[in-house]
Amino acid sequence: MGEGSFPEAGRMSAFFELTGVTKNFGGVQAVSNMTFSIEKGELAGLMGPNGAGKTTIFNLVTGVYGLDEGRILFKGEDLARLKTYQVTGRGIARTFQNLRLFQRSTVLENVMTAAQHHVPYSFAEGMTHLGRWRSGEKKIREKSMALLERVGLADRAEQAAGTLPYGFQRRLEIARALALDPELLLLDEPAAGMNAEEVALLNVLISEIHHDFSLTILVIEHHMDLVMEICPHIICMNFGAKIAEGTPEEIQNHPEVLKAYLGEEEVE
Amino acid sequence: MSGYTEGIIILLCINAIAAMGVSLLTGFTGIFSLGHAAYMALGAYTTAILTVQHGVHWFPAIVCGGIMAVAVAFFIGVPTLKLMGDYYAIASIGLGEAIRLILENWQSVTRGARGYPGIDPYTTLPVAAAFFVVLAIFMFNLINSRFGRACKACRDDHIAAALLGFHTARIRVISLMISAFYCGVAGALLGGFLSFIQPVMFDMLKSTELTAVVVFGGLGSMSGSLLGTAVITLVTELFRPISQYRMLIYGAVLVVIMVLRPEGIMGNREFLSWVKAPFRRRAG
Amino acid sequence: MATLIQQVINGLSLGSVYALIAVGYSLVYSILLFSNFAHGGFLVIGGYICYGTLRTFGTGIWLSGAIALAGAGFAAVLTERLAYRPIRERTNVTLYLLIASMGMSIVIENIFVIVAGGRFRALPPVIPTTPVNLMGLATTSAFDLLSLVSAVVFLGALQLFLSKTRWGLAIRAAAYDLRTAGLMGVNVNLLISIVFFVAGALAAVGGIFLSVRYTLYPQLGAITIKAFVAAVIGGLGSLPGAVVGSLILGLAEMLTAGFISSQMRDLVVFSMLVITLLVKPTGLFGKSVSEKV
Repeated sequence: MGEGSFPEAGRMSAFFELTGVTKNFGGVQAVSNMTFSIEKGELAGLMGPNGAGKTTIFNLVTGVYGLDEGRILFKGEDLARLKTYQVTGRGIARTFQNLRLFQRSTVLENVMTAAQHHVPYSFAEGMTHLGRWRSGEKKIREKSMALLERVGLADRAEQAAGTLPYGFQRRLEIARALALDPELLLLDEPAAGMNAEEVALLNVLISEIHHDFSLTILVIEHHMDLVMEICPHIICMNFGAKIAEGTPEEIQNHPEVLKAYLGEEEVE
Repeated sequence: MSGYTEGIIILLCINAIAAMGVSLLTGFTGIFSLGHAAYMALGAYTTAILTVQHGVHWFPAIVCGGIMAVAVAFFIGVPTLKLMGDYYAIASIGLGEAIRLILENWQSVTRGARGYPGIDPYTTLPVAAAFFVVLAIFMFNLINSRFGRACKACRDDHIAAALLGFHTARIRVISLMISAFYCGVAGALLGGFLSFIQPVMFDMLKSTELTAVVVFGGLGSMSGSLLGTAVITLVTELFRPISQYRMLIYGAVLVVIMVLRPEGIMGNREFLSWVKAPFRRRAG
Repeated sequence: MATLIQQVINGLSLGSVYALIAVGYSLVYSILLFSNFAHGGFLVIGGYICYGTLRTFGTGIWLSGAIALAGAGFAAVLTERLAYRPIRERTNVTLYLLIASMGMSIVIENIFVIVAGGRFRALPPVIPTTPVNLMGLATTSAFDLLSLVSAVVFLGALQLFLSKTRWGLAIRAAAYDLRTAGLMGVNVNLLISIVFFVAGALAAVGGIFLSVRYTLYPQLGAITIKAFVAAVIGGLGSLPGAVVGSLILGLAEMLTAGFISSQMRDLVVFSMLVITLLVKPTGLFGKSVSEKV
């Protein structure tokens, strides 16, 4: 940590922070010198037009891509050294812009696959169905059903995930991510493809789980209505770089933000 | 029970054990392999050599055969399972053929392409059935546990799986090792059934048969794989008198199934869920 | 030294035959992104048609060859129509195509087992195998030189077709992105049929040379696996790669057979496959497909 020139110098690192993060893809700079931090318990939004680099940030955080420069710290730990499957263990869960459900499995199984992470029993117990298998499976199932109730999908538990209506598939992905008991939840365009009514319902759901599960949430969206409604802290980016950061009111009137969205499909 | 019927049932048990192994790997973990007969060969030859040349009792010898297959699977699996899809399929062909060639050419140990005769016929009906029942219980239990869900996650979306905390590379290797064990045991039992083994019995045709049986029964359905084994084994036996046409029909069946019903007989459901389904609908 | 040159020429000759097979296989892969295991069947069909017309009608090699090429080409188109198109239209799971292709491979091989019997047949000596002296350095057979030359001619023709004709352009576009090519107005089904015809015809040329070299029998198609290995080494989907890979493989095989032992030949082939897949799976010139997250 430097001294003097940076206002944050000398304080404890934030709950989740990016410092100078840069990522190139063969000459194209997808993310350039991104720096921001999020405190524990915040509900923050990451905004920007299509192609701004928002999903790339999520991919960098979760180890899908490697960083070129900069640091990503979560609870003080450098995430860049972790493999993707280790990121979950640190308390981070995410959903995907293009939905990555297990289409052929049932709704319940999708959530159980995530819920089992915290309910270990040994391979031998799994093979013989003795020991902790029965109690473990019961716990996994109950926890999963509870989450499905929470997102309103309990009655569709035995349906194949791929046959759900689109909006419900998005809810399922959120339920699955919650099953990991994360501390930081990364939502990647959860409102994509939804109409105004569905977005309103989604806003309510996100606010509720933010409160009920004491989560820290970072939402990517390029629709303004979701992020402005519920996120008191917004970071706006374009062409891989941060162009504004602040409250919804500050962002709404920020000249750089307006410039970025001009010509873009606006609000609705 | 006639000797012939007994023989069919033993063959069914043997083929079913191998099919369960391949089912776990291909149907449940999504790894398409065309070289699995090699693991049967490894099991068969290890057990044959141990029982014939070193006087080992058949039970520990069969277990050793399975373990040998697992060991080889581990060593070649760790580097090659990084490959996805088609590339792994081609690698598995290469590895399968390489193992068969080594067995054919390592005359001093395996007696070469002419085959290894004189194996004690330890695979009686009780032996085959016992192995089948025990291994089946373990397999069905496994797929009904967190390990089964982990395999399916790796199969359906390996990126999402990684982000749910699954070490996909390790899961794939473990799945391969288990499937190799099952095929190794099946091969060992086959040796004890025919009293004779030959490398050509474990060629690409056999590997294709193993995969086809699983696809036919339904990828992702263990009971489907058993059903597929039963159908293919029985049909193969029935057509034995016209063995010229047997292979032609077999090939045609593969094509027809893929064209008409690629999800196989069972799709990805288990037999039990079909039975339970009417009751569930009534209750809900 | 003479042996070395001899084996090099042998290797290039064998490699050129592999190239004919590997290129057709890679061409299909580049468009449909699946490995057509029935490719060996087209080779066998070409061999038998050529043999059949030579024996039965006594026609010369040129006419018989032409008929064999056409026959194999049509057989390939038929295979695609019957077995692959219905699957392609229903689903995009390549596994089903793979298994169907294995099935077709078995079907074709066994049709010949039943119809022609498993005997090894020697083609009438229409392709000269007379020894040729190369500037006093080594002796090789006219056959080797001819197969090399034929491969060059056919592959050259293919190259012209791909670079100078409209359909060739369409095929190159489709190899880049099949869906987009379709959206741009290319008749995708017709394009795929053309690709299969070309692949089948090329395989037939290879089949004719192989049946002279190894005699003709229904399981001759099994040699296609070496062409697969060559295509992988060169990079699946890359045509120049298939050629380079085939030559490397042919050379490796012949040099091993000449200087180490004949038994090790096949082992060397598969070791090269495994090494390629471990070190650089996309091969020398292959395209790597990365997933979008």
